[in-house]
Amino acid sequence: MLPVLPALRELLPRGGLTRGSVVTVAEFGLLALALAAGASADGAWCGIAGVPEAGVLAASGLGLDAERTLLVPDPGPAWPQVVASLLDGCELVLLRPPAKAPPPGAKGAQGVQVRQRLEATLRRGRGVLLVVGDWPGAQVRLRVLTQGWTGLDDGHGRLRACCAQVMADGRGQAAVARTRWLWLPAEDGRVTAAEPMDIPVPDIPAADFESARRLRVVRVG
Amino acid sequence: MSALEPDPPRVMVLDCPGLATSGRPAAQLFDQVLTAMTAFCPGVEAVEPGVCAFGARGPARYFGGEAALAGRITAAVADLGLESRVGVADGLFAARLAARAARADTDRPVLVIPPGRTAEFLAQQPVSVLAGQDSVGQGSVGQDRAGQDLAGLLTRLGLRTLGDLAALPARDVASRFGAAGETAHRLAQGLDTRPLAVRPPAEDLSVTQEFDPPEPLAEPVVFAAKALAERMHEGLAARGLACVRVQVRAISVDGRESRRLWRHDGLLSAAALADRVRWQLDGWRVPTDGGIAVLRLVPDQVVRATGHQLALWGETVVSDRVARAAMRVQAMLGHEAVLRPALGGGRDVSEQVSHVPFGEKREPRLAADPPWPGRIRGAAPGVVYPFAREADVTDEAGDTVTVTGRCALSAAPAWLAADGEPPLPVTGWAGPWPLSERWWDPAAARRRARFQLLTGDGRAWLAAVQDGRWLIEAGYW
Repeated sequence: MLPVLPALRELLPRGGLTRGSVVTVAEFGLLALALAAGASADGAWCGIAGVPEAGVLAASGLGLDAERTLLVPDPGPAWPQVVASLLDGCELVLLRPPAKAPPPGAKGAQGVQVRQRLEATLRRGRGVLLVVGDWPGAQVRLRVLTQGWTGLDDGHGRLRACCAQVMADGRGQAAVARTRWLWLPAEDGRVTAAEPMDIPVPDIPAADFESARRLRVVRVG
Repeated sequence: MSALEPDPPRVMVLDCPGLATSGRPAAQLFDQVLTAMTAFCPGVEAVEPGVCAFGARGPARYFGGEAALAGRITAAVADLGLESRVGVADGLFAARLAARAARADTDRPVLVIPPGRTAEFLAQQPVSVLAGQDSVGQGSVGQDRAGQDLAGLLTRLGLRTLGDLAALPARDVASRFGAAGETAHRLAQGLDTRPLAVRPPAEDLSVTQEFDPPEPLAEPVVFAAKALAERMHEGLAARGLACVRVQVRAISVDGRESRRLWRHDGLLSAAALADRVRWQLDGWRVPTDGGIAVLRLVPDQVVRATGHQLALWGETVVSDRVARAAMRVQAMLGHEAVLRPALGGGRDVSEQVSHVPFGEKREPRLAADPPWPGRIRGAAPGVVYPFAREADVTDEAGDTVTVTGRCALSAAPAWLAADGEPPLPVTGWAGPWPLSERWWDPAAARRRARFQLLTGDGRAWLAAVQDGRWLIEAGYW
């Protein structure tokens, strides 16, 4: 079991990332970096493949140790081999499969084969593969449902903190969907659980004006 | 000169005056010059940056005379893209003066002082040549100052040329001007007896294995590489040397070659080096009908072996397991493909993290210490685009929002369309924060006005206006 940041424990079935498993995050962003941060802060090496735009500064604010981070911005068409090699050295690999390559979620035999081979490597090496995007058979799937930043007004202020609603579901123990409100990040750059009174109310006319003006959350979907 | 004294040494001096202004790294270029010189003469002394000297007698006999040798040497240096001039005389001091007297811009920038006529040549030189001549005081800065003082003093006394100085009795010069005067007097007479301090020619420490018949399989090549690496390590260790990097070159039957530099730092065992060869061959994908004909290991950047110290604190020790994984990926994708981030300073979010190839010293390009006025404080973006994305920011009326030179906004931003995405309503914004960088350098100067924008989907963006165009630099999500 790889540790995660305390605020994320309740989202995961056993309070951490199970070794040898695949965890997906719908979209690359602070949530994906926060999931890697806990293990990295605990001493694990972390590989980030296929994400040239990873914000290392924000990640290190969340707890990721830049000294124990390997970046492979462009793994190219041989990405399965690159990820397998990285898994030999790193406990956690954050991967966004290249868009041009046959996606692992494809129905074609090739995609299935690539996926199965990587999963076998994963089980042997006892690492965790954190995939951005879709991965059929992932043990846990996480996504940000809504988010709202504080600190910005019309023409002044600056971004301070973001309150986000994160949902996790998956297979087996994770089959029951869990939803938590998190400060992602809080004003000090870390991840903390949001108190119920911090949670923004939907931006409807009758809502509490104070918090509505502060957060201006719009529900997606 | 008595018959008992040996013939004075014939010295050839090569002077490359344009070395420092060539725009290339001077030390590397001079090293190339020295290497080129060893083709003519094995023992070359580097006198000072841009100036080298060697005994001319032997090479001149071989190449058909001093003038012919000098011509070949200037041609060889011209191949490196450098102008040079050559002087030949009895002794280093006179040869340097001769090289300086040879005009670099003429067709034949060579001045040969015939044997025995060096004193005559020197007699015409002004005493000011004693200043800034490190052969006066054998090189140290303090004595160079003494040479300057001496030259000034001699001029004031009416001794204008070295000939005037040489005409004085040696004993009187020594009692009046001390040790510096005595040395100068000897030099003025052409009695320059300091032997050249030549550097030994660089030894070829590379090791080669030829495969006859060519080896179609990778495994036997890797096995041979292990023995080859042991031979290379023995050769280096016997001379007390280590190499920073090692170049692995594999040549196939049809003449194609794979070269790759691997970090060594004196740390790789023979087996580890054989692993590098395996990864390199894996990445090369040699056609199976070919096969490897030659495998060569070349130590690169040879340094004295001083033992290896593990990191004490500050830098994480990279475990063997991680290093192997990273190098395997480097073998597949190249050295620059595996990066380690280093946090530093800077005004831009993309500047604040430097990416250093794995195996190189991890330090940020910009130091974190100096204040960086204009950097955006508050939350850091989770998404930092390596290349800013084009965007369109429009007001309620649909016109592009513009910023004047005085940071006045044409209208409040209402819509944000990142390239290739549908427009999003802007629900909050802050800015503009002006940033004017390197205004003193027209080529590098940048003026930007930056904004933080909040869009209807809950995401926040860092955008900037530069030259009237909107760019998205980072995203907060």
